[in-house]
Amino acid sequence: MTMRISLGSKIALYAFLVIMVFITLVPLIYTVSASFKTNYEIAAGGINLIPEEPTFDNYKTVWGMSGTTIDSRTTYADYTFNSLKVSLLTVLLVVTFTSMSAYCFQRGNFPGRKFLYWLFLCTMFIGAGTITIFPVLQITTKLKMNNQVGLAIVQFATAGASNLFLTMGYMKTITRDLDDAAKIDGCSFFATWWRIILPLSRPILATIALMSFQSSWNNYLLPNLMLAGDQTATTLVVAVVRLQSSGGAGASQYNLMMAGTMLAMLPMLILFLCMNRMFVEGITQGAVKG
Amino acid sequence: MQKVEKLGKKATIQSYLMIAGTVIGLIVFVIIPLIWIMRWCLFSYKGYGAVRFVGLDNFVRVFARSDKFWLSVGNTFIFAFGKLLVEIPLALALAYILTRKLRGRNFFRSVFFMPSMFSVAVIGVIFTYLFNHEQGVVNAVIKAMGGEGVKWFASGTTAMIMLMIASIWQNFGINMLFFMTGMQSISPEIYEAASIDGASHRRQFVGITIPLLGPVMQMVLMNAILGSLKVTDLVLTLTNGKPSGKSEVMMTYIYKEFFGDGGSTAMNYGYGAALTIVTALILSVVTLIYLKVTKKSSDIY
Repeated sequence: MTMRISLGSKIALYAFLVIMVFITLVPLIYTVSASFKTNYEIAAGGINLIPEEPTFDNYKTVWGMSGTTIDSRTTYADYTFNSLKVSLLTVLLVVTFTSMSAYCFQRGNFPGRKFLYWLFLCTMFIGAGTITIFPVLQITTKLKMNNQVGLAIVQFATAGASNLFLTMGYMKTITRDLDDAAKIDGCSFFATWWRIILPLSRPILATIALMSFQSSWNNYLLPNLMLAGDQTATTLVVAVVRLQSSGGAGASQYNLMMAGTMLAMLPMLILFLCMNRMFVEGITQGAVKG
Repeated sequence: MQKVEKLGKKATIQSYLMIAGTVIGLIVFVIIPLIWIMRWCLFSYKGYGAVRFVGLDNFVRVFARSDKFWLSVGNTFIFAFGKLLVEIPLALALAYILTRKLRGRNFFRSVFFMPSMFSVAVIGVIFTYLFNHEQGVVNAVIKAMGGEGVKWFASGTTAMIMLMIASIWQNFGINMLFFMTGMQSISPEIYEAASIDGASHRRQFVGITIPLLGPVMQMVLMNAILGSLKVTDLVLTLTNGKPSGKSEVMMTYIYKEFFGDGGSTAMNYGYGAALTIVTALILSVVTLIYLKVTKKSSDIY
């Protein structure tokens, strides 16, 4: 848009933007700051931003400590690794199955295709999520799936249909001439997906992978419940929330809590800084087209 | 979907195999849980002992004897509308500003969008620190400006305000992004024509941007309303319903009904299922009313 803006209103605009940047960043900056303070300094309160004696000990302590008294061998380092495992597995499931089913809906023509498509469309609006978390847990308990693999499977299954629609939309733009050519070359329906469609839909699958990784990494309720029985399997976000109640002797250990939250947020921050554009595209496309 | 030529038998079998994983996932973890809820709402069962058929008794209990649930429903609506009243205009204004050619546009956009990257549960943990009475930064700032520290966690009102602030902080950027996408698709020529006609920025915003944003606006608001009504993790990790259920919301109430609230478990499958259905109904009624209202207003333009 090209519009003439007077100098006065330009200054006002920038002032507004800068204030908003300030508001956005202050909570994060104070989190970083507290994670380098001693608990003694935090307890004293005040708006002191730069720690008097900056210390890296909080990170060292959290990284090497355990989140529960029940199991003292599993540390936050392990929880981080757990989160990574669960998230990568979720991504793998989402990308593989979404790509396959989007291909079937977009290119296939099998009896029941319309009905199944309609089924996905309906469930998208019901948006299971928290509402059905109890029955989901009943089912996973019955199927003996309350472990990391089970968690990844449930996260994939309840991710919603927007991934599917996004991928279908993208596959629509891949010309069918390629399918025909593959067919002439003797490719089966499956082989066409594997050799042609899958490689060509890499950009959209990358976006979906990124978003699934993020939502799996950030997930709290489901891992908290599904992995409750096995303290060694807990994910990082669940363990970080647990820091809230583990303030020994009644005093909250905000220094450790903030170091923990930094640990949980850092991977997202790095992903965001590296793949900002992809996030923006994924989120806006998913919402506008889905 | 376009018309597709008939594929061979082999392709049909391959299709079923390829789609099986997703469909089984949908049936087992989305559809069966829904059926589970509908079945159990007619029974009384505490997880052990006898299962009793009670008909609609669970619903009678929800409507007649669940003051705390309805209090949480009220809280949910206060939370949703209170925060959206700030969040949506803020997001709109920022989007309007940032769709112009402005130095540092991308920087601003990225910063505002950043909080939505992080786990809601973790944001809850951060805000418990920021709003802490003695050690928190918020009170430190208030004191530095000559005010008196607020006991944020001590009253229902301040607890709700805290939840709203945390939620606005995390979500305004993502709504701004949606609005920006919508605004970018509005042809700049319309604005130019309006400028030539001497329309002020405010006039252009109200007269062009808002109406032409219609469909995007409808979608964004819908998502924002439903998302806020479904708030769970933030409440669990920031206030956990304190003080004494005054900041409890629908989802956390149901959650605690099913999973118990730290030991005092009076869990009942049937009652929980009935609560779930009533909540789902509340959400659908809101959706329907919303669609009706927005349809009317989009007819005007």
